[in-house]
Amino acid sequence: MLAVNSRIVELQGVGVRFGTVDVLKNVSLDICRGEIVGVTGANGSGKTTLLRVLATLIRPHSGQGQILGKPIGSGETAAVRGRIGLLGHTAALYPELTLAENLRFASRMTGVDEARADLVLAAVGLQGASDRRLDQCSNGMQRRADIARLLVSMPELLLLDEPHAGLDRAAADLVEAAAREVAGRNGAVVIVSHDTHLMQPLVDRMWRIDEGELHQTNGAMGESDKRTPQKGAT
Amino acid sequence: MNRFWLQAAEVARKDLLIEGRAGEVLHITIPFGAVALLLLPLAVGTDLTLLENIGAGLYWVIVLLFGMLVAFRQTADEGPAQRDMLAMMMVDPVARFAGKAGATAALLALFEAALLPVVVVLYDPVPVGGWGWVVVAGLLVAVGMAMIGTLAASVTAGLRTRNTLAPLLVAPLSLPLLVGATQVYNSLLGGDSPFVFLTLLVAVDLGLAIVGVLTAPIMEET
Amino acid sequence: MTRFEKSGLWGALALLTAGAVVAVWSPPDAIQGDYVRIMFVHVPSAWLAFLAFGVAMAASITWLVKRSPTADAVAASSVSVGVFFTALALLTGMIWGRPVWGTFWDWGDARMMTTAVMFFVYLGYLALRRAIDDPLQRARRSAVLGVVAFAQVPIVHFSVVWWRTLHQGPTIVRPDPTIDGRMLAALLVNLFTFTVIYVVLVLFRLRLSSAEESLRARMLSAENPLAGSAVASPDLEVLRNA
Repeated sequence: MLAVNSRIVELQGVGVRFGTVDVLKNVSLDICRGEIVGVTGANGSGKTTLLRVLATLIRPHSGQGQILGKPIGSGETAAVRGRIGLLGHTAALYPELTLAENLRFASRMTGVDEARADLVLAAVGLQGASDRRLDQCSNGMQRRADIARLLVSMPELLLLDEPHAGLDRAAADLVEAAAREVAGRNGAVVIVSHDTHLMQPLVDRMWRIDEGELHQTNGAMGESDKRTPQKGAT
Repeated sequence: MNRFWLQAAEVARKDLLIEGRAGEVLHITIPFGAVALLLLPLAVGTDLTLLENIGAGLYWVIVLLFGMLVAFRQTADEGPAQRDMLAMMMVDPVARFAGKAGATAALLALFEAALLPVVVVLYDPVPVGGWGWVVVAGLLVAVGMAMIGTLAASVTAGLRTRNTLAPLLVAPLSLPLLVGATQVYNSLLGGDSPFVFLTLLVAVDLGLAIVGVLTAPIMEET
Repeated sequence: MTRFEKSGLWGALALLTAGAVVAVWSPPDAIQGDYVRIMFVHVPSAWLAFLAFGVAMAASITWLVKRSPTADAVAASSVSVGVFFTALALLTGMIWGRPVWGTFWDWGDARMMTTAVMFFVYLGYLALRRAIDDPLQRARRSAVLGVVAFAQVPIVHFSVVWWRTLHQGPTIVRPDPTIDGRMLAALLVNLFTFTVIYVVLVLFRLRLSSAEESLRARMLSAENPLAGSAVASPDLEVLRNA
């Protein structure tokens, strides 16, 4: 049994409600350091909402737990945001700035040496496009740049929302390498995707959100998986 | 404290860099303000004496009404992904407010400076001694409008009606700035001291700064 | 309607009647004649506008400190009623001003200017609340605006006072500064009446908000819709069969 302090995230009975609509109901999970976990589910099942709870951007209306040692629902979790990296659906960068400018902005804001920005750009294979504006880059390049942003300040908890969407094989390999890097440094990674086939080789454990609740799976295709489309779903 | 000012300066720098590339203020808002100054005499009459007398007042009205377009420019509106990024980077909300207001104030000062020769050419307002005080008033108005605009932008962030609702909120609240700015000029014109109205502008700016500092963390709460 | 609300309603109607009676009973003004009677609606309306927005500011501060849904409801209700009384104050002021001052709008009256500014600001407040669906976001943003809006009121007021004080406009006719005792009595009765009406209206508005919350709570305790249940699996068979 793993020691309690190796758990980077613990959630018990967490619920999230928007207005009168429940998005998550009674979600319980724990994630240990060094783990890469996957969360899958149908469209609109609450996968992104769960990720935003883990990113401390949404405060659940019920339940308890901790993220990086801070109790959820108390407002204290905001103090650990700097140790969490979130890769969303769209690039969290500024379209009018170049790739290098975007990363240097991220470096300066997080107190990291600017030289790291150039290093990270090279690490993700974009050093040749560093002076190109983000809005002049392809979707795949924008995604790589967004990953580079996260790697500027290597997070302890990396949250990836549909990381494979719109990526070529090389970029997808980059995502996987970044996930392994974070996990290898005793952090943890949560990948949210409806594409279980791409996730399975990478994750240690997989959960599925059904009816707002989380169920651990071993990655096998269940009845509900057969009913829902696995690729190209919107 | 150093990190606060660094973050504020970075946010301002980023906003100004983006605006410099997009050119919305320079290529759209300033010409729009100039067009408004050009159209007004067609409505109120082109009598030179009338225009001399109302020119300064109309300048400030244009600065306030069209200056809002500077505060609510597209390039200042951050999308949800960018807002999340700033939150995840633990950017101090007050630093973010200060940075955005600072950048907007600089652009508003540019807007005022660009329209000044236009109003001089079209309206030939009566010159006054102590022009320096008018410039000071202009800077105070720029700072005040920037703060009101930044506050209104954060209150209306993400709303579909933002572009119309935000100006509705700003316009009536900017009345003290309008009164202060116009009366600084009128005081100098009458040979009176402008300090009462400069004090008003300073008081408004200080009040807005306090409100901005107190409300910035609240607006970013989850 | 509860017994308390019925009592409040009847009480308000009775006071309104009493207010109308004393307004008619009060003597005409030496200068304005019978036009002075508009004052018995105008002044209380203006007073209530300031009171309503002051209450809204206090409730907004309470929300910011305690995150109390009741405080948010009080703020919203008070602003709704306040906007009505502000409009009434402006309208009666203009109706009064035309025959007495020769103009609908007196630029020399700092209070009217302040009141007009407040009217538009709080129209914006109501528009803001209408534009936000999420109750927490709505309460938060409204609370911030509720504080900023009223905090500006003294600044707006003094700025206009300074503007008018140093640059006097044309001479205007003013009511006799020594008000007749019966007029004062009529004014005070109507001030009290309108204050009671304000309280009754806010309570009714709060009851409406409370009913909306109860409905929402009943929906929550029943089977809540899950966000994900709105999405079903696609089935292209229906196209083939059409």
